[in-house]
Amino acid sequence: MDVRYINPFVKSVSNATLTMLGIEALPLQPLVKNETRASGDISGIIGIASAAIYGSVALSMPSETALALYNKMMGDSQTEINGDVRDMIGELANIVAGSSKKEMAEQNLSFDISIPTVVVGKNHVISHMGGIPVVVIPFKFGEHRFEMEISIKVRNEEKAPVGMAHAHAG
Amino acid sequence: MKILVVDDSAIMRRIICNSLKSVGFNDIVEAGNGAEAIENLSGVNLVLTDWNMPVMDGLTLVKEIRKRAELATLPIIMVTTEGAKTEVIEALKNGVNNYMVKPFTPEVLVEKVKATLGK
Repeated sequence: MDVRYINPFVKSVSNATLTMLGIEALPLQPLVKNETRASGDISGIIGIASAAIYGSVALSMPSETALALYNKMMGDSQTEINGDVRDMIGELANIVAGSSKKEMAEQNLSFDISIPTVVVGKNHVISHMGGIPVVVIPFKFGEHRFEMEISIKVRNEEKAPVGMAHAHAG
Repeated sequence: MKILVVDDSAIMRRIICNSLKSVGFNDIVEAGNGAEAIENLSGVNLVLTDWNMPVMDGLTLVKEIRKRAELATLPIIMVTTEGAKTEVIEALKNGVNNYMVKPFTPEVLVEKVKATLGK
């Protein structure tokens, strides 16, 4: 996957965490993912689609990281994953995907994003669209870590894909 | 001063509401989408709306508001991840008074609200 398609999303994560949490999440060495099982206990998934590009982006993290992000953002002291924490993960995925649109549009890769889906549970699976490599970018946020999965493809003369990425309990 | 906050994310609504309350805007009504917002416009002096929402999105809400003669000058701020030039222009052309891109800090939100209200 071309790094030009990954960098806007990486920048979005760093910008979103710095702006909303006051601490910038720093990207670590990317890797290619060879399985569908999510690394975290909670994941927020966004589908992206247009005439130019399609695929999905996911943020996946352990419960502890999700709670740390939530409590930092909301000034709260939540100890369990609840509806508000799930909402926050979904909104974070929404902001990351949405914020990348401007820079992608400058590469003539405008796209629409879906409403985010959030899945909670150990060993859940994130099934990105078949045939598209999944690149994982780990992020370090203080003492916590989370991952962003990017699985996107630039169309050539392909037909529109059926369905979007989905996640389910593993 | 009654403010209507429209966003399908309860967390985002809470962040916006907390920011508004921190500077004294305490009369706030919330809606989870444009259709709910339409039902809660009575007495509202300012609308802050997201763009991408289920049922009725923010741009459609703006268009519906501007169709009503009595709401022709109701201030509207779009608060959204949609930051591309074409989206900003489209929103402004359809009657949005100010535009704010997510992510944002509470301080910026407050200044946008004050600027929109002419304070």
